[in-house]
Amino acid sequence: MAYSDKVVDHYNNPRNVGTLDKSAAEVGTGLVGAPECGDVMRLQIKVNPATQVIEEAKFKTFGCGSAIASSSLATEWIKGRTIDDALKIKNTEIVKELALPPVKIHCSVLAEDAIRAAIGDWRKKNNLDEPAAAEQVK
Amino acid sequence: MLKVLDSAVPVACWSCSVAHNESTLFCPDCSKIQPPSTGDFFSVFGIERRLNLDLAALERAFHRLSRQLHPDRFVRASASEKQWSLADTALVNDAYRTLKDPLRRTEYLLKLEGVEMGAPADASRALDQKTNLLEEVFELNMQLDEMRAAKKAGQRNAELEETLRQARKWNAGRVEAVDCQMREQWTRWDAGDAAARTAAQRELVALLDRRRFLSNLLRDVNEILKD
Repeated sequence: MAYSDKVVDHYNNPRNVGTLDKSAAEVGTGLVGAPECGDVMRLQIKVNPATQVIEEAKFKTFGCGSAIASSSLATEWIKGRTIDDALKIKNTEIVKELALPPVKIHCSVLAEDAIRAAIGDWRKKNNLDEPAAAEQVK
Repeated sequence: MLKVLDSAVPVACWSCSVAHNESTLFCPDCSKIQPPSTGDFFSVFGIERRLNLDLAALERAFHRLSRQLHPDRFVRASASEKQWSLADTALVNDAYRTLKDPLRRTEYLLKLEGVEMGAPADASRALDQKTNLLEEVFELNMQLDEMRAAKKAGQRNAELEETLRQARKWNAGRVEAVDCQMREQWTRWDAGDAAARTAAQRELVALLDRRRFLSNLLRDVNEILKD
């Protein structure tokens, strides 16, 4: 199977590979895995507490080219976005951007899950409720 | 001719017209080869769908069918029979390769039963309870990366090597534990009613997920410790 040029580019020059301090309050860590292929993906975000803007995003993925490209692209996209905006990213947009074939769609799902997991971790650390729950507060 | 998909419904032999079960490769009456069956891999060997298999019997059945399908036996046969013998050989090979392997057999049976395997979103949700395993897998992968970098630079990191050796031992033990649990679920599935089978299937999907992670990890660790 041939990878698209964009996948190859992200694979050869992955953006934002690295680690953020897991224990820092402004850092959220998402660790997800795809049992189907045994891939594991860690995505970390550093959020500005005042503006809720994601100032820094790092990832490390062990897996196939599509998984690496999906997470690389995800970090590029979420950087500079607010938490709420980042949550709007759908795996289908990643599929489209990277021209992933059907058998590799799960890689993009994994990247979307990683974003959610990282944001969830950051919220938990900072005692912030999910937006849906917050609306119910009287 | 009427094509029936239900393997329980008898079809007529093209040669002698005696009705037989479609899942047989040879007519039980006139012994003529039949068109490739539409039954599952289990029916190729005339066994019922189950997870605990007599592997010795399976191997014997495989050898017997392979002999019966050997091209030498079809030298003077019609063109269709020749073609069927090739198609049947491919089917028998696929069926044997799948059924003799414990993991493939389990996966195959689950698929036959219509169980959704590793749907990514569900899988990672289910994995939330297994974050520990994920963390370990991730950490070990980091060490493997470090080891690869050291190797590339022509260095030896004895401490890291020892850590990986320990990890290999520990994870090999886990694979054994998973396999043991898997066999328990096989027995539960084989003996169980519909409800027990559904429960066993759920367990098996989770065990297969875990097993895949561990197998991939062991493969990578072995690869790096090879020399």
